[in-house]
Amino acid sequence: MNELLKFLEIGEILTEVAVALGPLLLFFGLFQVFFLRLPAAYIVNLVKGVCMAFVGLVLFLQGVKVGFLPAGTEMGVLLGASENKWILVPIGFAFGFVATIAEPAVRILGFEVEKATSGFIRARVILITLASGVAVFVAMGMFRTVYGVPIHYFVIPGYLIILGMLRFTNPTFVSIAFDAGGVATGPMTVTFVMALSVGVATILGNRSPILDGFGLIALVAMAPILSLMSLGLLYSWRKRKRA
Amino acid sequence: MLSGLKHSLIEAFQAVTPITAVVIILQVSLVSLPTVTFLRFLIGAFLVMLGLLFFLHGVKIGLLPMGELIGEELPKRGSLWFILLIAFVLGFVVTVAEPDVRVLAHQVDVVSEGNIGRGLLILTVALGVGVFVCMAMLRIVLGTPIAYLFAVGYLLVLLLSAFTHPNFVPIAFDAGGVTTGPVTVPFILALGIGTTSVLGGKSPASDGFGLVGLASIGPVLGVMLLGMIYR
Repeated sequence: MNELLKFLEIGEILTEVAVALGPLLLFFGLFQVFFLRLPAAYIVNLVKGVCMAFVGLVLFLQGVKVGFLPAGTEMGVLLGASENKWILVPIGFAFGFVATIAEPAVRILGFEVEKATSGFIRARVILITLASGVAVFVAMGMFRTVYGVPIHYFVIPGYLIILGMLRFTNPTFVSIAFDAGGVATGPMTVTFVMALSVGVATILGNRSPILDGFGLIALVAMAPILSLMSLGLLYSWRKRKRA
Repeated sequence: MLSGLKHSLIEAFQAVTPITAVVIILQVSLVSLPTVTFLRFLIGAFLVMLGLLFFLHGVKIGLLPMGELIGEELPKRGSLWFILLIAFVLGFVVTVAEPDVRVLAHQVDVVSEGNIGRGLLILTVALGVGVFVCMAMLRIVLGTPIAYLFAVGYLLVLLLSAFTHPNFVPIAFDAGGVTTGPVTVPFILALGIGTTSVLGGKSPASDGFGLVGLASIGPVLGVMLLGMIYR
């Protein structure tokens, strides 16, 4: 029962979110006083939204930290101890996909892209492409953890391919792709997928969990860049075919 | 407002159901987590869903309009220096406030055996983000193709990774992810869209994105530079 009461220990997350939100509010406050001078009713609505976002993020992060993190680590340990280590690769794929789907900032990016392109690029398309990319790279990350392949073998060729693709991809997709790289490394993916990977690395022994855990985020950050630039190539190819 | 809330509810439900389903399937087939851990996961999933509902709705009616309002205001002052100054300060301050940056600072402290203190790391990373957000705004105003900035940025990253201390390479690559938390991302996204919506000859669709991506190069370069000093 005591284990379940851990959800009530909310102080740390509360401070974290408040500290992250604080400077932005201060910034907006200064803009409001000196430049914007919006009517009070409008400001009240904005503040309502910020309060909702605050409460929401605290609940979300607390759920991830107290509920998901121990489950992820424990599953990593159990799976790492099982006989068929290869099973970690498809499981990594599945977790990469579903964790990205649950990532808050990914949703916001999709929403903004759909809005800014007036519906030309749908939020759902962004979401699925991004999640598929992360899935493939988390699977690769698991492969790397199980068989001990150095991270450079993935990251350096990956970025070289990205540099090559930059030449051919439509600039809108380039921007969205790199934004997505930053967005995919959110609290859900980092905490849950990282916990899984650290759990596996711990049980496999003879490797440092810290250094093995590092690099997974780099892979997760790279995945959406590659997958969304590929989507961009697909869009321009379809457009050319139609023209 | 109500229909927006309903939309966020559907979104939150769709977001959390898959991950919950995968864990439940694994629980009954391959791994059996201790009952307490599994129960904690289920309660966590409920909190995550509730949290997402509030967060998504709150961001849409609060943080996004705020970022857009500031973005729209910036070009109206008629001074490039003003835009660049605000961009730098915003990037810097937001990074210092980001909780993940402190986790990173701790890791670097450990790997460098205390030679690179937490203050120095946070300062370097925040400067990195500030400079890159500033450059991102400059490129929007000047109309420089964004591919150039990414190409130069990542070529520098690859180059520095050959010269920096090997232990710093994975940390540096991970550092790119830490400055883009769920509070910062919506705000910076909206800032770019707001700015491009009022600048003549720019459109939010083709010029508004990329700030978050550019902002994540700064810390990678910053940590690698620190690794070179450490070496």
